[in-house]
Amino acid sequence: MNIQFKKGVLELCVLAILSGKDHYGYELVNEMSKNISLSEGTIYPLLRRLKAERFVTTYLQESSEGPPRKYYKLTQSGRKAKDQLLAEWDLFVAGVNNIVKRGDDHE
Amino acid sequence: MNKVEFLRRLSKTLDNIPAVEKNDILFDYEEHFNIGMEAGRTEEEIAQSLGDPYILSKQINVNYMINKAEKTATAGNVLKAVLASVGLGFFNLVFVLGPFLGLVGVLIGIWGVSLGLTFSGIILFIATIFRPMLPFIINIPVSFFTSIFLSIGLTSLGLLVTIGCYYLTKSFHKITVRYLKMNLQIISNYKGLT
Repeated sequence: MNIQFKKGVLELCVLAILSGKDHYGYELVNEMSKNISLSEGTIYPLLRRLKAERFVTTYLQESSEGPPRKYYKLTQSGRKAKDQLLAEWDLFVAGVNNIVKRGDDHE
Repeated sequence: MNKVEFLRRLSKTLDNIPAVEKNDILFDYEEHFNIGMEAGRTEEEIAQSLGDPYILSKQINVNYMINKAEKTATAGNVLKAVLASVGLGFFNLVFVLGPFLGLVGVLIGIWGVSLGLTFSGIILFIATIFRPMLPFIINIPVSFFTSIFLSIGLTSLGLLVTIGCYYLTKSFHKITVRYLKMNLQIISNYKGLT
């Protein structure tokens, strides 16, 4: 993936994961690194930024295995931001595909 | 690198962030370690996949400083944000600190001009008033009315420039913060951080 887009795309990925259900940090990072190669530590600053922008909120919840965990929950405006980013992403992918596929036809 | 070492290195380079917030940040990483170990991974593995704590903390520092400069607009906060950005690499030494210092110099110059104009107007006014009483000390080579109007003109011009300068300084602050944010994005992309 082009590095220029990584930042916006990572944000979209985190928002998309949270739009399914609330996750705790480790779970979220795991979900991300399963699919994309990245420095896992960078997800936490991203989450802090999303929290500062009020796209997500956090709460503590007991876990069966140990101390309570910090869960991240998508807010209403986070959902809106996700939809917008997703629309931009779809447009971008469609555009790239148009170009790439056309290139194939000429071969 | 084990968990304690990772957290120690991260903590050491987060020295500009207040204790409450710093603990909050460290807590996230500590929790990450704990849950990862419950899942059967070793401390070394987890530290490895988290990435270099030094680069992480630089990133966190800049995020924090820019956020702060945006919220409370003191000269110190803006300067700290600029310096934190400069810490991200040589590129920023040239493209952030250089223009920043240059523009600060220009601003100081304009402030000097505006204050100079205002004060010279005021002094000319006082001198004109006292001239009839002290004819040997104060020597103004123009007529009374000319120098009165000149002094009022100078003072008003000075005040006008001062007001303009005030707004210029305010927008300079806004533009600096915006530029730093954009710069952070570019640098982060370049280094593959978020």
